[in-house]
Amino acid sequence: MASTAATRTAAGASKIVKPIFSRDLDEAKRRVRELYRAWYREVPNTVAMFQLDINTQQGRDKVREMFDKNKHVTDPRLIDMLVIKGKMELQETIHVWKQKTHVMRYFHESEEPRATDFLSKFYRANEP
Amino acid sequence: MASRALQKCVRSLARPSLRLLSANLGMRAAPIPAAAALRPLSFAAASRRTRWLSQNPISSGVLCRQYSDLPPLTLESIKDRVIYVLKLYDKINPEKLETTSHFMKDLGLDSLDQVEIIMAMEDEFGFEIPDAEAEKLMTPSEIVQYIANKKDVYE
Repeated sequence: MASTAATRTAAGASKIVKPIFSRDLDEAKRRVRELYRAWYREVPNTVAMFQLDINTQQGRDKVREMFDKNKHVTDPRLIDMLVIKGKMELQETIHVWKQKTHVMRYFHESEEPRATDFLSKFYRANEP
Repeated sequence: MASRALQKCVRSLARPSLRLLSANLGMRAAPIPAAAALRPLSFAAASRRTRWLSQNPISSGVLCRQYSDLPPLTLESIKDRVIYVLKLYDKINPEKLETTSHFMKDLGLDSLDQVEIIMAMEDEFGFEIPDAEAEKLMTPSEIVQYIANKKDVYE
């Protein structure tokens, strides 16, 4: 059982898979940088077009935060998939297919933070 | 009186074509106030130049237009502008910044920070830097060298 699991992981480590867009990690990182550039340049236009109540620096910090959330990824295909999703969001934002509420959803303004310590969970536990 | 002051400004701003301009001043009175309003900083220089001009009038029959163009770039000016833009960036400590300081190793910046820096350079110098070459620019001196190569600045 353990030996078959070991052979399976050894085979999986050297498996050749079909790439989505980029063949290696460098190309994937290049795509990420291009996407970041596009988002960085788009933020002031977004703030003006949707008449958001944030300033450009806050928007850019939020873009950086969304990119930093996936900083740890090393698989080129996974990076490509995330870049594709980022490009879809960018397209929807540029063409104003979204609305103000969709853009502001990134900022989680009306969500309450989840309870992490014991006492907050205790207070919340018996609510109807 | 205002028109005479404006005439003096125009005469000082376009020195070589003195005779022709003074002849055309009547026709050009309308666009001149807009031009004069846009250049308040040059009035002090203009008054100095009018005093110089009244003492030594230039007679040149050659029509010479002075289109607005930036002064030519030098390696020194490129370096000054690059360092100035980097000092304005809030993630860089301006005391630790030198021309040879590596962005990632010395200044502790991210790859996305380096992308932001290159974009600031693009905005400063007014031309696109493609990402394939931008990812290699890791110190201010490399940026200066790249811009000098692109803009044909040599010494």
